[in-house]
Amino acid sequence: MIDFQITNMVGRIFGLILASSTLTAFAEDVTAKKEAKPEISAQLTFEKDIKPILRAHCLDCHGGVEGKKGKLDMRLVRTMLSGGETGPAIEPGNVDESYLIARIVDHEMPPKGAGVSPAELEKLKTWIAQGAKTARPEPAPEALGTTLGLTPEERAYWAFRPIADPTPPSVKSTGRVRTTVDKFLLASLEPLGIGFREDADKLTLIRRVTLDLAGVPPSPAEVRAFLADNRPDAYERLVDRLLASPQYGERWARHWMDVAGYADSDGGSAADTDRPHAWRYRDWLIRAFNDDKPLDAFLTEQLAGDEFVPRPWNNLTPHQVDLLTATGFLRMPADPTAADYSETARNQVMTDTIKVVTSTTLGLSVACAQCHDHRYDPISHVDYYRLRGMFDPALHWEGFRQPGARVVSLYRDLDRAAAAAVEEQVKPLAEKRAAYQADAMKRALVKELEKYQEPLKSQLKTAAETAADKRTPEMNALLDANPSVKISPGVLYQYLPDAAEELKKMDAAIGAVRAKKPPENFIAIYDEPPDRKPPVTKRLHRGDYRQPLEEVKPGIPEVLKPEGAVLDLDGTVQPAGHSSGRRTAFARWLFSDENPLTARVLANRIWMHHFGRGLVATAGEFGRLGEPPTHPELLDHLASELKRNGWRLKNFHKLIVLSSAYRQKAVRDPGRMSDDPDADGRLLSRFPVHRLDAETIRDRILAASGHLDNQMYGPPVDVQADDSGQVVVAGDSGRRSVYVKQKRSQPVSLMAAFDAPVMETHCERRTSATVATQSLMLLNGTFLLGEANRLAIAALDQKFVPEMIQAESISKGLASGTKMPDEPAALSGAVATIWERTLSRPPSEKELGRSLEFVREHVRTGAPPLPGLKGDNARDKYLTALAHLGQSLMASNEFLYTD
Amino acid sequence: MNGPGNDHAETHMNGLFSSAGQSSRRQFLNRTGMGMGALALAQMLQEDGLLAAPPKPISKPAHYDLTPKPPMFEPQARAVISMFMHGGPSHVDLFDPKPELQKRDGQDYPGEIVYSFVNRASKKLLGSPWKFAHHGQSGTAVSELLPHTAKIIDDVCVIRSMHTGHNGHEVSIRYFHGGIAGILGRPTLGSWVVYGLGTENQNLPAYMVLTDPDGLPVDGVTNWSNGFMPPMFQGTVLRPREPRIFNLNPPEYLRGEVQKRNLAFLRELNAEHADKYPGEGDLEARIASYELAARMQTAATDALDISNESEATKKLYGIDDPVTREYGTRCLIARRLVERGVRFVQMFLGGQPWDNHSDIKKTLAGICAKTDKPAAALVYDLKSRGLLDSTIVHWGGEIGRLPVTEGTGPGAGRDHNGQGFTVWLAGGGFKGGMTYGATDEFGHKAVENVVTPNDFQATLLNRLGLDHTKLMYQHNGREERLTSNAPNARVVKEILV
Repeated sequence: MIDFQITNMVGRIFGLILASSTLTAFAEDVTAKKEAKPEISAQLTFEKDIKPILRAHCLDCHGGVEGKKGKLDMRLVRTMLSGGETGPAIEPGNVDESYLIARIVDHEMPPKGAGVSPAELEKLKTWIAQGAKTARPEPAPEALGTTLGLTPEERAYWAFRPIADPTPPSVKSTGRVRTTVDKFLLASLEPLGIGFREDADKLTLIRRVTLDLAGVPPSPAEVRAFLADNRPDAYERLVDRLLASPQYGERWARHWMDVAGYADSDGGSAADTDRPHAWRYRDWLIRAFNDDKPLDAFLTEQLAGDEFVPRPWNNLTPHQVDLLTATGFLRMPADPTAADYSETARNQVMTDTIKVVTSTTLGLSVACAQCHDHRYDPISHVDYYRLRGMFDPALHWEGFRQPGARVVSLYRDLDRAAAAAVEEQVKPLAEKRAAYQADAMKRALVKELEKYQEPLKSQLKTAAETAADKRTPEMNALLDANPSVKISPGVLYQYLPDAAEELKKMDAAIGAVRAKKPPENFIAIYDEPPDRKPPVTKRLHRGDYRQPLEEVKPGIPEVLKPEGAVLDLDGTVQPAGHSSGRRTAFARWLFSDENPLTARVLANRIWMHHFGRGLVATAGEFGRLGEPPTHPELLDHLASELKRNGWRLKNFHKLIVLSSAYRQKAVRDPGRMSDDPDADGRLLSRFPVHRLDAETIRDRILAASGHLDNQMYGPPVDVQADDSGQVVVAGDSGRRSVYVKQKRSQPVSLMAAFDAPVMETHCERRTSATVATQSLMLLNGTFLLGEANRLAIAALDQKFVPEMIQAESISKGLASGTKMPDEPAALSGAVATIWERTLSRPPSEKELGRSLEFVREHVRTGAPPLPGLKGDNARDKYLTALAHLGQSLMASNEFLYTD
Repeated sequence: MNGPGNDHAETHMNGLFSSAGQSSRRQFLNRTGMGMGALALAQMLQEDGLLAAPPKPISKPAHYDLTPKPPMFEPQARAVISMFMHGGPSHVDLFDPKPELQKRDGQDYPGEIVYSFVNRASKKLLGSPWKFAHHGQSGTAVSELLPHTAKIIDDVCVIRSMHTGHNGHEVSIRYFHGGIAGILGRPTLGSWVVYGLGTENQNLPAYMVLTDPDGLPVDGVTNWSNGFMPPMFQGTVLRPREPRIFNLNPPEYLRGEVQKRNLAFLRELNAEHADKYPGEGDLEARIASYELAARMQTAATDALDISNESEATKKLYGIDDPVTREYGTRCLIARRLVERGVRFVQMFLGGQPWDNHSDIKKTLAGICAKTDKPAAALVYDLKSRGLLDSTIVHWGGEIGRLPVTEGTGPGAGRDHNGQGFTVWLAGGGFKGGMTYGATDEFGHKAVENVVTPNDFQATLLNRLGLDHTKLMYQHNGREERLTSNAPNARVVKEILV
């Protein structure tokens, strides 16, 4: 096995050699060769070269979960040689006589799926021609059990290797090294003859880092202050201020809400029932980020907070409430069981939960192994059920509890006593009401029966007075034929309006008494029912819960533990006696030195949010189906740094945002426009221009107009359909987007258009689409138009004044163009204000002049007034024109992208 | 599966959907200018045992768009209009006459039946209250409930052997749209079609959904979900009321010159910004998307305006009759959209009008009266305009109904039946005047030439020049297909021209 470090060095040396040649030509040469004959000269081995092909195409049926069809076991060369019903599968040294090859060539095998690719077939042939070699003597087939067996080659996959903590490489451009991050990045740029761009200007920097860390733009006053701060550490101070701001938690909690699949509704069915307590978990997240809660505690509490709180849960301390609230993480997957309690729906909750937890913490598509061994990664069918065992105690479809049953009341004994006392007062009132209603129903029936003649009258009376479940079919038929005698409490008002009124009064009186109870709050939690033994976890044939196979002990996937280690989760942790402790054990293992994945996955995800792209671009997939890291050593360095920082994020952010890589310009080097070795910017030879996410776009618009409401926490702001049927934030609220209700079936139109995830399960990485619906939304949508109008009024009325622009620039701008006779004195100031508040920068003199011209043109041509304005006076006309200016600026690319 | 023109398919896949598939690696490197560091890395990973590379690209395409894409092989159709008849049209009362059922009306069904509504379940066979007759030259049997469909039946291929195996609406609806029974969150058929083919008219949405004034169908907006694909592959709803398309038209005070001026100013701002960041494709794409938005305002308004259609055409669709006016208008708009190059149009009904659990005599007759004439008019009109050959018209629901009665007396109806039911297809390379497949003697189970929703999808895609096994989308590193769970789904060749 080649050591990771050495492999990297080989890669670097290879890069160096290439850099000295004519780059593109040589690159083509290399790849062309690769395409033609995929390294046939080398000695191929079964473990390294062949098993991955068989795993992808053959092993399900020949050795894997579907058994050994045709009695052929292809997991080992020895069993391929001993063969199946039709004889040996291969004939070493003789490709033409090898049955395996014949079957593939004839397109008979594999019977379904994409088929073996020509390159793979070529490799199989070569291997057989070379004598069908193995890397080492093979184990006995029995030793593999029901798994495909793990080879050292599979264990050696980059993501499974221990984190290397490499020494930062030395680089030439030491002047550009601010943090260790820079060394790693420069080390891959310098061999290409390039480096970082120069630092971006201060205006760009404050905009970039504020949008990144706080998710809102810097205010004009903050920009002015930063520009005026000439201390050498002005930028560091800015970063510290942002990390300490409450907006930081709101911004970074939102990122985690994506991977958790946060929603304020249950999803999974058209009913999409409300999830009334989810917001407490959202608030927990915001606090956790703002408190810089170490990531190990952060995840452990979310996975197993309940296992740290001894029962009974009657008098919870604030800390215990926090621990339980954190388990809201495991309550985020879609759960339609309130509306659809089918076995399938219950089982789906389990499946989704495993999916969210594994891709979030391990970055592996473990979910693939639900039905069969993973086709590309060494995750076996058994491994999947090891992990599933973690959730069987609470989520097994038998004994499943509906969402409403998995809540904890925050009542303490005192509250309960107070509530019981109130119920005592209600009791006599309720009894009185019940008696009154029963009597009224009787009276109504008597009155109604007056309309009938005997003997029908008596028959109806008997039928109506018989309890509904005791009625004979004849009685039912009789009543169905005479529906008016079927008097229920709900229709009593149609018979005795006065009695119904009286009942209403009594209800009101009871309600008034009950209102004296202390308000009862709930948190939605994940826990294991204390009164039930965990069910035995079983492997399920093809993932079907109705087809259980053998028992599987809850545990860690084999490839993620050292060879020969015990994989079991049970027995490693003894929780407070009411829970299996499996989730705590899992969380401990996640942050142990044994597990290289979690630190890498988390570090990569944070990097992705800063730069718009992860070092591993497929942030939720580190397996072979994902993309490899662009900078494997940097990734390991970041993972190590995360640990060294005690898993605390704020310092970790600084490692990144204080780097030269982060501070450099986003503009391409004009000297290498056509021939850029880093054309797509993956190597970070410039800061990547990327579009703001949906939440930041909405929040930035609100900030610009002055409508942004900084109130934190609490129940979500509701959403509603507007006059046109689009979903908008209710009540024109200016709360930050993180507080807007996330109802799966009713995504806010603006947010969905800009790729905010509509949670089906969860979102590992957002897409960034560019479509006309977005443009239409910004051109014609009520939200942006309304905020533009708001901004125009605030600017013209000088509620906001220019903060950045120099007075002389304003006057110069004013001097350009032809002034209109009715122009308000504050006009050019208002224009400058609108620029500053939208784009977080002052306009240039030219831009100011052009904007004034734009405003005047609208006035001159008599643009119709904004809704609500008369338009017969100068103020109305200029307000209208200024609103158009604000809207245009907020629809512009400069507003929508960070640079 | 080896469809015609498989070679094209290969080129197509590599060029388009797997931007860095093995054979297009060079092209990929050229396009992205991926640096040497990355190549060295690729080399490193080769060493790393990543040798039997999974059949997947190293990277997703940088962006997606809706520009027209060449099909994988010679297509028969270029557009689809789907009249989705959710609820479960009662095939034994509409397209699948069963003499045995009529004969044994009132007797017990001799076998197992899966019911959805056990409380009203019965084993008593319920003969169809309606008469069937043979129509057209083909002599295809059509119920008297569908007199207009009967007139175009020679253009229609009736599939009598549909089978989902699930009785539930949602389960089967998701099977039809997303490809997997019961699973939400997947791209729908329309998404796959426009992902694969783009659209011919960039001024109109590629995938349009016409909803009913009575509300959304079961499962709501997920019926036209883009699932894990980018939102551009989602169906754009053409609402039954103004505004027909959200944000399409500016509010009054912005119309005309005002917005033109704003757009010109915005263009200036964006041009200056783009000058600063040359080579950033996304910035340019967004500039273009504003231009498109402006053009869409005119194009869509025009497409929806049926006032210039002749009186004869309006009458054909039943727009002169209050019963058929609404659905007829939508069918006519569907034709206008396809005429203008929209790729995929799907019409839905409010609620579950075909879900005739009770009072089937009245309720089934009602929904037939509303839809029969417009649906037939659509086929007729497309044909007379020479558009039928290139347009697939689909009529059908997600399930059918049981041959036994649900409830008794005048309130009797039929319960769900996912075991066997009928849909029809017309135009777009399907054989007209044929019936395909069969249910058992009572119409409960499909027994001959069974067609699953995946077969149905594979066949539709085939007519559009797409191979369902090769139309792939990378999601979380996996290759997803519309028929992901059914690689053996078959193209029903017998019904193809």
